[in-house]
Amino acid sequence: MSDFFCEIDISDIDLTDERYKISFVEDDITFLAQSIQQTGLVTPPVVRPLNNKFVIIAGFNKIKALIHNNEKNAIVLKTDSKSTDCHCLIKSIAAIAFQRELTHAELISSTRRLHQFLNKDNIAKTSSAVFNQELSVRFVEDLLSIGALPKPALELIHQGNLSFKSAKRLTTLKKETIKNFLTLFSTIKTSSNKQLEIIQYSMEIAAREGIKPENFLNSQAIGDILLDENNDPGLKTKMLRTWLFELRFPSLFKMHKKVQRKITSIKLGNKINFQPPQNFESQNYSISFTAKSYSEFADNVQSLNKALKNKGLKEIFNS
Amino acid sequence: MKIDTVFIDKNIPQNFEIEYLISKLHKEPHKIENSKTVYDFINHSPDPILTAKKTLYITRNKGAVIKECPGTSYYTCCDYTILHTGTFCTMDCSYCILQAYFHPPVLQYFAGLETLGSVLKKTFTKNKIFRIGTGEYTDSLIWEKVSLQPKFLVETFAKQNNCLLELKTKTINIDSLLPLDHNGKTVIAWSLNTLDIIRSEEKGTASLTARLEAARRAESKGYKLAFHFDPLVIYPECDIQYKKVIQQIFEYVCPENIVWISIGTFRFMPKLKQVIEKRFKHSTICYGEFILGLDNKMRYFKPLRIKLYKQIISCIKNYAPDLLIYFCMEDEDVWEKCMGFFPKKEGELGNMLDKSAAAHCRLNAALL
Repeated sequence: MSDFFCEIDISDIDLTDERYKISFVEDDITFLAQSIQQTGLVTPPVVRPLNNKFVIIAGFNKIKALIHNNEKNAIVLKTDSKSTDCHCLIKSIAAIAFQRELTHAELISSTRRLHQFLNKDNIAKTSSAVFNQELSVRFVEDLLSIGALPKPALELIHQGNLSFKSAKRLTTLKKETIKNFLTLFSTIKTSSNKQLEIIQYSMEIAAREGIKPENFLNSQAIGDILLDENNDPGLKTKMLRTWLFELRFPSLFKMHKKVQRKITSIKLGNKINFQPPQNFESQNYSISFTAKSYSEFADNVQSLNKALKNKGLKEIFNS
Repeated sequence: MKIDTVFIDKNIPQNFEIEYLISKLHKEPHKIENSKTVYDFINHSPDPILTAKKTLYITRNKGAVIKECPGTSYYTCCDYTILHTGTFCTMDCSYCILQAYFHPPVLQYFAGLETLGSVLKKTFTKNKIFRIGTGEYTDSLIWEKVSLQPKFLVETFAKQNNCLLELKTKTINIDSLLPLDHNGKTVIAWSLNTLDIIRSEEKGTASLTARLEAARRAESKGYKLAFHFDPLVIYPECDIQYKKVIQQIFEYVCPENIVWISIGTFRFMPKLKQVIEKRFKHSTICYGEFILGLDNKMRYFKPLRIKLYKQIISCIKNYAPDLLIYFCMEDEDVWEKCMGFFPKKEGELGNMLDKSAAAHCRLNAALL
């Protein structure tokens, strides 16, 4: 026996059983429904007969589109009745992986489910045939450990609130701490590097202050930033990062503020850029301006000459 | 740290030096064809760094026996000369850069006293003062109880007058050195830190009082001394603790017998942080206000360094106004603000130290 094409009654499909659903992407099926109406099904869905019903393995959207078109029957590829759970899962993963690259969330979820049947070495060994890409054993380990993160980690990864690298970093932390970071990342949205910075600073501040990371993350100050409904996720991120930086590098932060205040007080205007040395480690301040014309150039030079008389400028260099 | 495994190169001759070493180690060494066996043994263990600390590899030095200290760009170096007698360490300081410097770290003992002797002989004939130390890639005295090497070096240096030998340690392994005729040419130096840091970050090292007691014993046998506050670690009230250590130094030894004291705040290659976080889970030493320095090492934010340096220098000067204090790897700004001067010219800092070496160790002052 082997898989074969047949026509089935759509009402015989158990739509509630999504055990083989890999895709996190909820596509709008309107166009697909139109396409099926005009040109028919190009590739049929794959189903598995189970307990007198059919379970979808691949083609969830196609079935939805057929229902949208009020179709009663569907041509499907019916799997061999002897197909195992593992075979069906592999089919469902491969069906997507050979159409498009799996997202991180899909890759994590698929690997985790496949791990019920295969060990990490075998997942790596068969990866090119299943995932359409070679996965090293180490990467499979990472996928599995990220897959074991509590809810809503996978959802956050899918939404782009939690990067793969940040998720990997979270796997090294204690359960309570992970939960708190997941709550935090569900309220802000930022790049992977900034997420990692937030994790790093929070952990380091907590370690230095001798407090539990979860207590730090639950502090009033963080709560005030994250729960303020007037601020969008971008602003919350900015405020959180500034606050964390101030706590992590109090002296550097103060120095930055102080010098910035002095630079502002010199009133060089917005065409002249006056920069302190990075982290104040070297002694070299930089100053630059652009000029389109001789008069612009002269204006800038005049501003600089004026600044020479400002005692704030001397104070910057003598501090 | 107890040595669990000893490897020895097959072609190392079984002379008195090696027989002595092996008899004291009480471990039968595995004779090996090449170093790969050692590297594999260490790399395939669950904690290569810890394994490396318990695995001694007796081999020959295949590189330079004597070399200039690499220093680092942008910061002023003291023009030190390194005598390469071994690598890595049996003690387990969290901040030790050797953990990240060697890949993997291997606890090597470089056999061949005659090689050391012949290389040194050439240096002894040069018309220049050399400050030579063995404590750059290892602790100078970790093998003192089992090896003839420290004794050999002290006695070899005793016979010349243009080189100073500095044995830098966190141990109290000086017993075999005390009866020697060192002729004042050996300086025994201790790295010091506060009680908090020794307790939390310097696993397996001697206590502060034990180090100072050892310094007193060395002094009583005519050895000149040096102390290194490196790394200085910044933490709440560290200034008070460092001042207590300074006070203790002068309770134990006379300032006249101290050739120099160096100071340097904790700095590290960024990759060391991961090692510390992995191996020393309770250490918070990396979580100070570190910024990326101009030499791409992490350093404390400069005003914090300056603040601590000023207090330490002033405290030392209270006890010993004429004592030479120098910075290990600091820039002009720090020198000027803390010391009131900067050894700007190339070799100027080295020259200052040479002068102190010549004065304390009766080196040939005509070579200055």
